[in-house]
Amino acid sequence: MQGRETPRPADLTEQQTVKQPSFPGPITAFPGPNKLPRTPDVYVQGQHGRYGPGAGGLGQSLPGSFPNGPLSMPQAGGPMGPASFPQGFNAPGGMNPGAPFSMPGAGMIAAPPAPGTFHPNGFPAGPGSFGDGPQGPGGRRGERYGSSGKGSGGKKRKKKRRVPIWARVVIGILLFFLILGGTGFAYYQINFAGAVNHIVGQQVQRAPGEEDPNANLNNGILSGPRINILLLGSDTDQKFQGQYIAQTDIVVTIDPASHTVGMLSIPRDFYIPVPGYGLHKLDEAFGLGGVDLSRRTIEQDFGIPINYYAWVGLDGFIKVINEVGGVDVDVLHPIVDDNYPDDVGANANNPYAFKRLYLPPGPQHLDGQTALEYVRSRHADLVGDFGRSARQQQVLGALKAKLANPDVFGHLSAIANDLQGYLKTDMQLSDVLKLMYFARSLDVNKINKLILGPPYSTSGVAPAGTPDAGADVVFPNCAKIIPAISQMLQLGDKAACNVVGDSGGSSQLPVAYTTGQPSPLAVSINNTVDGLGNLTNSLPGGLNSAPSSLFGIQSLLDLMLMGVFESTDVF
Amino acid sequence: MEQTSIFWSLPFLHSGEGRPTPKLKGGTLLLLALLALSVQGCLGFGGPSGQQVATGSNGQQVSVNQDVFKGNFYLTINHNLYVLNGNNTTKELVSTGNVYDPAVSPDGKWVAFIEKYKEYSDLCVVSTSGGKVRVLRTGAGKFYYNGPFIHNTFAWYAQPSWSADGSTLLFLSDLEKEDWYQQTGRDAPMLDLQVFSVPFNNPTVKPKDVAYATFGDGGDRDASYRPGHPDQIIYTHYTYDAATQTQQDIQLYMENPNTISAHPGMYYPGSPGGGFDPSIAITTPDLENIQPAFSPDGNAIAYIQRNKNQTQMSLMVMPTPPDSITQTPNDPKTEALALQSYKTQSSHLLSQTYIEQPVWSPDGKQIAYIQYTGGAFDLWIVKVNYDAKTQKYSIAGSPIQVTSGGIDGESRPVWTT
Repeated sequence: MQGRETPRPADLTEQQTVKQPSFPGPITAFPGPNKLPRTPDVYVQGQHGRYGPGAGGLGQSLPGSFPNGPLSMPQAGGPMGPASFPQGFNAPGGMNPGAPFSMPGAGMIAAPPAPGTFHPNGFPAGPGSFGDGPQGPGGRRGERYGSSGKGSGGKKRKKKRRVPIWARVVIGILLFFLILGGTGFAYYQINFAGAVNHIVGQQVQRAPGEEDPNANLNNGILSGPRINILLLGSDTDQKFQGQYIAQTDIVVTIDPASHTVGMLSIPRDFYIPVPGYGLHKLDEAFGLGGVDLSRRTIEQDFGIPINYYAWVGLDGFIKVINEVGGVDVDVLHPIVDDNYPDDVGANANNPYAFKRLYLPPGPQHLDGQTALEYVRSRHADLVGDFGRSARQQQVLGALKAKLANPDVFGHLSAIANDLQGYLKTDMQLSDVLKLMYFARSLDVNKINKLILGPPYSTSGVAPAGTPDAGADVVFPNCAKIIPAISQMLQLGDKAACNVVGDSGGSSQLPVAYTTGQPSPLAVSINNTVDGLGNLTNSLPGGLNSAPSSLFGIQSLLDLMLMGVFESTDVF
Repeated sequence: MEQTSIFWSLPFLHSGEGRPTPKLKGGTLLLLALLALSVQGCLGFGGPSGQQVATGSNGQQVSVNQDVFKGNFYLTINHNLYVLNGNNTTKELVSTGNVYDPAVSPDGKWVAFIEKYKEYSDLCVVSTSGGKVRVLRTGAGKFYYNGPFIHNTFAWYAQPSWSADGSTLLFLSDLEKEDWYQQTGRDAPMLDLQVFSVPFNNPTVKPKDVAYATFGDGGDRDASYRPGHPDQIIYTHYTYDAATQTQQDIQLYMENPNTISAHPGMYYPGSPGGGFDPSIAITTPDLENIQPAFSPDGNAIAYIQRNKNQTQMSLMVMPTPPDSITQTPNDPKTEALALQSYKTQSSHLLSQTYIEQPVWSPDGKQIAYIQYTGGAFDLWIVKVNYDAKTQKYSIAGSPIQVTSGGIDGESRPVWTT
């Protein structure tokens, strides 16, 4: 033969038909391999359980003869069919499942191939039939399984068992997901686990004798009874001689049964007994004794059991905003604030821990520090918390738009590291995920918010002889507080307002001094808040599909933002 | 037999004898074309080609397409002052990182601007060719206790603007809050920025009161003289509605800059509706209208309009109201007349999610503005046509992008010859 020509795919009509000799009786069903007439010498079970020619091969039959019966196969003296049949697939004797055989008067024809295999010529072929294989008679590769022409005995061959295609597909899919999952796990361990493990599961031991309200939570954080989470926020500035204070003190109460959430904001300047330290401002409890003392103060003074805590350092918010490259918002009006808390340290010219703010109005780019000032400023407008809420919604919307961008994936690890040191909770990551998922499913109309400002409190000055003598403080109005928190947190007769008496210090309730007007009362929600809420809700791409939702980062961010904004509006 | 395997439909997956000659199919060509387009986008091709001049506040490189405009643009990038020339030159004039609100003098010699610091800002000036910065007025001060309240002697300065003859500078400031607290009894921190003026050649004298603010919503913004009319200024006024004190009313006002100083004691800030009001509204409060800019001849006002839900902003132009409105600002008939141009002759030019800071070209045939595109605030220009019959304005052709990468959106640029 000269050269090679592109084989013409064989037409079925061109193939010679194998004429099977008739059976002596009716054929009702396949009798099974053990019941077929067989010549052990021809077919033996090979290495992999497949049947192939026996040691005796197919004998020395001439082409066209079947020395061993009608289903026997002639022996090929050399490698038959495609040469790439793997070792072990063939029975001793070297006969390939796809090897040709001869029929009387039919010449050499291609043998039935192994089940489940494929041949480019349109009919199944043995494994490895793509590609090389010896040429059969006629010089056309692949058209027929080649045969050296040696041996053409008529010995039987049984189909060798193959793994079905569907099984191979299933195995492939399982392998794919196994590899994917393993890769994801490794990626998480390398890039996130360190940071996340420093954020969640940060247990704070309860004091001896302190009741643990989690003792009955056997089935998880939202398994049934109401839970209360103490949300603390600090400026992470060490101007107070290395002790952080908690500018934010909020109790988030969640009732899984009724699918309701409440947020109780307790003014940081509440002048109340701190266990073991006497009368102090509430924000100082965190500085004096950390989470445990803040927790015990709330529990003791108001009868509110605290199941979990989450502490937020405000610098974490700045870092996250800067990590995503800042946010672009339309500042609604000029922001002018002469009494913004100074979070970057006192200096000789400013011992009062305040700074001035002036943000021009209009669309602009905000870095982390400016964004924090924009959302925290309390004196920039006349509508109090509603003005703040509108501004927070803007920044949230802009931040969520950044987090929904696939480009943020490369920053997720850095964001997780940014949170490290600025977010801590005793909840496990799975608890946080459950909680945030629960919160996202809430009806906003079922979120109750209560701020213990006027008329629940009165501004005054700490009296002489107390640790905060002369400082601006806020005195609780217990007659109004008790029924309000009893209803909100379903405390029943356990609601308390123990602002008189203390286990470790002065127990005298000071006379309430009033030197100024009460803070402005809340006013009705304006169109700005509604409009911005609509804009936020219309952002494309649910957050659950955003890159930031991977590895729980979004849920941790939501927890941080809840502390920074002092609001559930993050959802 | 016809090949039915999918493998045979993909090129290059089979070769050798018995296989079709590899060739690109139509679907593959389409895929390659789409890939090329997406790579083009990723690599930043296709936008305005031009000189890279700076790094913006968002970390991106800012490029300038200098073949599309004539004259000079003075603007800030990452709060450094730059001048962009239409003849392919860019120069950085001030590189402190604190620069806001540039304003070029009518003679083209000086750029007045703001240097903003943590507690205060300074009103400064520098030559348009660069060099040493001169502080005209400083807002430096200190904190102190006044009873239980913390007060301070700091001052903000913002948005300087030149008179037509270059002799006077308008600016915004809260420098008189302490004085007004004493007079009105209002809590000083709530008193916001108002409009003042000083002579350029003697900037340290006591400033003249030009326009007052009502407290609580941030004060005034965008003050400027009307060209050819030294007795008229325009500005944006922020306040809450008188009825409920919960809704923002953001309107454009015009005023005679000499009225308050000519009638001392007739009007007090912080008390809406009390006494004589020298200002007159030229837009209604149902929509928020901000950032007015007079055309070079003073006969038209470009401004930005925003709906109450802050979902869209529009670039608008209207004819300037009649000259007489600032002479009798408290007359109801004058108040109605002042609103006519806005109500009946406003022309809508463009709308975007964010569009701001309009400024006219020196010849009055184009308007430059800042638009939010591709995650950045950039400078655009558009030609404007005026129909004398209808007294309406319209854009001619498509807007042209001048910068890419992001300039400072909160500082208005200046366009000079």
